[in-house]
Amino acid sequence: MSLLSCTGLTMRFGGLAALNKLDVHVEEGDVIGLVGPNGSGKTTFFNVLTGIYTPSEGRIVFDGQDITAKTPQEICRAGIARTFQRSRLCLELTVFDNVMMGNSKNLNLGFWHNVIRRKAFFQECRDDEARIRLMLKALNPTLADKIRKPVGELSMIDRRRVEICRALTGRPRLLLLDEPSAGMTQDETRQLMDELVAMEFEGNRPSIILIEHEMSVIKRISTRCIVLNFGRKLCEGSYDEVTSNPVVQQAYLGTEVV
Amino acid sequence: MDRSREIFVCLLSAMALLVFSVVFLLAEDETVIGSYMVGGAVLLWIMVRMGVYEKVITAVSHHERLWASLVFIAALILLFFFRDNHYCLFLVGTIFCYTIAVLGLNVQLGYTGVINFSAASFFGVGGYTAGMLLNQGLVPPFAAFILGGVMAGLVGCVLLLPVLRTSGHYSALVTMAFALLFNVFLEVNESFGGPQGIAVPSFSLFGVDFGSDVEWGSITGSFYLRYDLFILVFLAIVFIMVRRVERSWMGLAMDAVRLDETASACFGINIVRWKVTAFTMGNVLMGMAGALYAMMLAYISPANFTFSDSLLFLSILLLGGMGNCWGVLLATSIMVVLPEKLQFIQEYRYLLYSLLVLLMIVYRPMGLLPRRTRVVTSEDVA
Ligand SMILES: Nc1ncnc2c1ncn2[C@@H]1O[C@H](COP(=O)(O)OP(=O)(O)OP(=O)(O)O)[C@@H](O)[C@H]1O
Ligand SMILES: [Mg+2]
Repeated sequence: MSLLSCTGLTMRFGGLAALNKLDVHVEEGDVIGLVGPNGSGKTTFFNVLTGIYTPSEGRIVFDGQDITAKTPQEICRAGIARTFQRSRLCLELTVFDNVMMGNSKNLNLGFWHNVIRRKAFFQECRDDEARIRLMLKALNPTLADKIRKPVGELSMIDRRRVEICRALTGRPRLLLLDEPSAGMTQDETRQLMDELVAMEFEGNRPSIILIEHEMSVIKRISTRCIVLNFGRKLCEGSYDEVTSNPVVQQAYLGTEVV
Repeated sequence: MDRSREIFVCLLSAMALLVFSVVFLLAEDETVIGSYMVGGAVLLWIMVRMGVYEKVITAVSHHERLWASLVFIAALILLFFFRDNHYCLFLVGTIFCYTIAVLGLNVQLGYTGVINFSAASFFGVGGYTAGMLLNQGLVPPFAAFILGGVMAGLVGCVLLLPVLRTSGHYSALVTMAFALLFNVFLEVNESFGGPQGIAVPSFSLFGVDFGSDVEWGSITGSFYLRYDLFILVFLAIVFIMVRRVERSWMGLAMDAVRLDETASACFGINIVRWKVTAFTMGNVLMGMAGALYAMMLAYISPANFTFSDSLLFLSILLLGGMGNCWGVLLATSIMVVLPEKLQFIQEYRYLLYSLLVLLMIVYRPMGLLPRRTRVVTSEDVA
């Protein structure tokens, strides 16, 4: 059984079908590159998956569980985490706070634990800080020392790293990365991807869907590619199959595809 | 700065604050008061300009536990100093009550971003609940104090639905409407005393009546002394609690909800839960503060809990620095004492408030004491 299977997924905004009868299946261990021209519905697909939008039609089954009309919170608990195309970090909070935000579903939020008897809370805090330090270090050694800095003081690439860490702390089974390289130079992008590939994920590597315009990145890390255009799946296959497909080339050159 | 110097700075600032408060509260001549104010403002301005202000605040924030104890001791000294001065003790008691209420507002707006334009109404719900219950002789005063908070929390539940609507303006309007309605309701309702209001019996604890003057051995003092001491202890408990909430996973969830609801939801934070928690927690604090205030005042009327008072609570929070508990304490002291000391300004007090808030927004948009970046992992402070 697939980890994620979407069937006939349609998302309409008024007259516009941002997703049109989309079928996507993700297996355990997949790294899927999701590409397509601007406005082809990639981000919308993520928003539908994470419950920000409820699809107009279609069904989403994740890990044997129907999550079609679930809230973002429930979907997060089921094990899907994401990053956002336009970075959505809380700039005035520290790196630690931002990353811990991604772990909220596992935290004890009771009044007694948090306010009255603080011993266990502080122990938890220290353990989490050590764990996050390691994680930041795995992505980039210098980032670990900035763990108590507000995110607003970090560079763009560091913010992207923090976003990825935030998505990973909750130990998701499926990770959705929406253009993690947006706003970075090519060198920085390459560096970030190297870091991501090198990361060890504490033994449970999540499946990944990666949206990316930079094709070299897709080539490097994806096991399979899906091309979207006008909310439809144009084609699917390995990187070489997809890039040599004349229909795809046409779509990227902007010609109308029938 | 090294540790001992920082500790020295804490001691010195606590003493300076104490002396300034005593001198200021004692002053009666308006030109003297005016010159203290101008002098204080100029001194503050110079300190900010020279970067001393920032250094002092940093030093204090490094030793918050020490600082909190110093402030507590300073408050005790202040109370002892004014032990037979009804007027000053009443002012200090008012500051304490308002501080507790604004700390509640801080949890709502400062931490979680839930707007509330009816803080004074919840303060009033607490006061009237305590008054009515005590007048009927239904419960002992301590229970009336607790029930004042419970009632405010319950009344807040009526507003929950509109407040939970994500669009900010909508919930702002609803709370404004509630504040106005609450006032009209009290004025037309004869069983609540109408516009004249109601008398409220005094507080008592372990058989000690807070309404009679203090006689402890050779120490005699105003009956307000007992109120002030009790409210100070309650304030300290509330302060520690609110500060701990901030530096916990609860505070993190509240911050996340305030800063980015979409991202919070995507990471499993229950937005509704935290808005409800913050709103109710804040209202309960306002209600309990209101109950104490009513018993101390002995007589309350709708005029004590108007919409303008709600605005006053909000401007205190803005002046002090959204989210900063110490800022709340500082700003409440300023906003309560200034109009009392400048009698001629009484009628223009709302003009003064709006002017202060405007100046703040232009020159120190984050308030007198901007909230500091939270570091959850460092040891407990208060
Ligand atoms: N909330 C919305 N309301 C109306 N239309 C929307 C909404 N969200 C997206 N759309 C439309 O849906 C289409 C797909 O948008 P989407 O953001 O998914 O594209 P994308 O593939 O992520 O593009 P890009 O590469 O620029 O990020 C666009 O035409 C967009 O205008
Ligand atoms: Mg997009």
